[in-house]
Amino acid sequence: MITTLQALWEFSLFLCALALVAVGGLLLARGVGGRRAGRREAMRRMLLPAMLRGDTVGIGGTRLSREVAAGLTVELAELVRGSDRDSLIAAARAAGAADQFVRRLRARAPQERLLAAEALALFPEHAEAVAKVALGDRNPDVRLGAALALAHEGRAPPVGELVRRLGIGTTEHSLLAVSLMRDLARTDPHAVEALLYDLELPDAVKLAATDALAESGAVDHALLVAWMSEAADEESELRPRIFRALGRIGHPAGHGAILAGLDSPDWRVRASAAEAAARSALKAAVPQLAVLLDDDEWWVRLRAGEALARLGSTGRLALHHAALGDAPVARSAAKATLAERSIA
Amino acid sequence: MIAAPAWAAPWMVGTAEVIALIVIVTGLLQVGFYIVQLAFAAAALLSRPPVPRGATLWRRYSDQAPPISVLAPAFNEGLTVVESVRSLLALQYPNFEVLLINDGSKDDTLARVIAAFDLRPVQRYVDDRMQNAPIRGFYASPALPRLLVIDKENGGKADALNAGINTCRTELFCAIDADSILEPDALLRVVRPFIDEPELTIAAGGTIRIANGCKIDSGQVVNVRLPRSFLALVQIMEYLRAFLMARLALGQMQVLTVISGAFGLFRRQYVVDVGGYSHATVGEDMELVLKLHRYMRDRGQPYRIEFIAEPVCWTECPEDAAVLGRQRSRWQRGALECFAKHKAMCFNPRYGRIGFLGFGQILLVDVLGPLVEVLGYVLVPLLYGLGLLALPWLLAFLAVTFTFGVFVSIATLVLEEIQLRRFPHARAIAVLAGIAVIENFGYRQLSNIWRLQGWWQFLRKQQSWGTMTRKGFGGASAG
Repeated sequence: MITTLQALWEFSLFLCALALVAVGGLLLARGVGGRRAGRREAMRRMLLPAMLRGDTVGIGGTRLSREVAAGLTVELAELVRGSDRDSLIAAARAAGAADQFVRRLRARAPQERLLAAEALALFPEHAEAVAKVALGDRNPDVRLGAALALAHEGRAPPVGELVRRLGIGTTEHSLLAVSLMRDLARTDPHAVEALLYDLELPDAVKLAATDALAESGAVDHALLVAWMSEAADEESELRPRIFRALGRIGHPAGHGAILAGLDSPDWRVRASAAEAAARSALKAAVPQLAVLLDDDEWWVRLRAGEALARLGSTGRLALHHAALGDAPVARSAAKATLAERSIA
Repeated sequence: MIAAPAWAAPWMVGTAEVIALIVIVTGLLQVGFYIVQLAFAAAALLSRPPVPRGATLWRRYSDQAPPISVLAPAFNEGLTVVESVRSLLALQYPNFEVLLINDGSKDDTLARVIAAFDLRPVQRYVDDRMQNAPIRGFYASPALPRLLVIDKENGGKADALNAGINTCRTELFCAIDADSILEPDALLRVVRPFIDEPELTIAAGGTIRIANGCKIDSGQVVNVRLPRSFLALVQIMEYLRAFLMARLALGQMQVLTVISGAFGLFRRQYVVDVGGYSHATVGEDMELVLKLHRYMRDRGQPYRIEFIAEPVCWTECPEDAAVLGRQRSRWQRGALECFAKHKAMCFNPRYGRIGFLGFGQILLVDVLGPLVEVLGYVLVPLLYGLGLLALPWLLAFLAVTFTFGVFVSIATLVLEEIQLRRFPHARAIAVLAGIAVIENFGYRQLSNIWRLQGWWQFLRKQQSWGTMTRKGFGGASAG
């Protein structure tokens, strides 16, 4: 029977053996990896110029050759555009890169699957396989990454289905949803616009859609601004971002909402409304912005000062008045803004 | 376990048993916690693996990457400051500003920066919610819109960072040491949790690695190599354990209690709400994270404080035993000050897992760890000498303690090799494995004595930082 004392010694020996095996394994893997790296480098030297030229090369179809071709595809696809890219994809296909990516879609490591899905989205014939990943992979990062890659290539599944399956606004909170919406809006702006009117969708989805649509010229901004003005009246964490979007569009239909936002009890809204007023050259906001120079919150004072400085001579005059005024906080804010802008 | 001699009174045997029990139980608890940390670190690396290429990272994240202000406090950094600023301006990030804070340097730090970048005095409207020593002026150049130099009276690192926070105008700020080197894509990597969970993430830290021995060119680490100094090699192993195991695991458990002052990304609003960095501590980086936990828990607001393994900040470690000793006793003092200041959180259900796991870890590793280990070193041989302790048991427990230490280090090396693979030569792995064994005999005991000195300084309420001399990266690059 093993005594406790003996067990302690045996446990020590076990730990030693484990550590030795681990170090031995690491060194062995390095040795094997080093030899493999040499062959990989030789293959890479042969494939790189050919793939850049778009030439199809017979490289034997070994696993190593497919891996090298796949690696080069990922690297080079980020460097080339247009017809050069089409030639590159054709060469990569011929070298077995697409087959390699299809295999990697089943890899255990999420990062492997994500890289494979992103690369495979470049091959039109595999869009369906990538869409399957985008809608059903067990890892949320992989799902979102696959969806982004497909949307970037203009081959995304229907917008509504994508939003629901990715769980945007419910389980998925990434800001990458905005990038996704922007790419979706490029190919199907009206489907993205329709998200704004879907009552079942969370606000975060609508905001991502709003951000994307605000950048795009492909929709009727009057309707979008009407929705944003309405949403800006509601109590929501998203209001500052809505005001920023209103400022970015600069549509006159949003001016009323921006002016109302300057009086909001929430300082974040006041600050973003001041920013929006400047971006949309809303000179009617000057009196309210001058009042905000005396705000309790530094961010609001800063944004109000910046807005006044950007709103032409009327705004600068208001800054000069405040710099000579009786309110010490407003005076300090105005003086600092004028000095910073060298318009004192 | 106690082989009581005939002359020993029962109370002597009882005392010896209690001491042995305390040492063993503390050791076992630490071992248990390390095993849990290893498991969580491995899970963290597997579930959110690194993005391998900078170009991929840029394509994926650059569009949504929020603007960042990089705050770099500098005190008497005349020799390296220009190179440091150049390196910071070369960071690969879509929208960032570098705020170099000259904290009342007595050398020519400010003059060198002004001359090198052709800066002129400018004005800046700054926030005043956090106190900092008076700002003497701001310097910038239209040719370098990303750079702003803040010249202020000396107030210490925390004060300088507070001045930077008051001045910055971005939602996120990154606090770094001006004498450290950030990898070009470090910001893009560390910002990931702020993009993935923008409503929850309030802070994120990255890995610090030791640059001693590495080849450095134009403010970048271009060839990772091991140093020749034994002390530097041991610290490389320590940093790997601290970052690739402990902080990664604690981040995964959501109980991270420290983000290194050399590299951390924070949401400005929350840092302002908790009053910024505290002046009266040498562990201001740890204290800030504890204050953030406390603030969010007190408000019942969900949040996340993350650790990301891939973004790397390179720093120079001391190779001189006296300087290293001062650094370690200061770290120990900082941890104790933070623990004492926020002891109300310890094992308090109101603070959930941070109260139990986070503070439990500080208590076990930082507060009790050095005391018990040194107690063991002193009393166990003494008890053995008195015949109150059996040699076979003593040796068996020592063997388990040491082999487990080696095992943890090797497991960390395995994690590093599988996921990050920063050491280009296999020889480095073999050398570090050797160091993992050797450090248990001599260095580990010395380190505990330094930590005990920190305890003593804490009890005497000593506040000084102590001199921290550096060779500078120019020295490291030679050869």
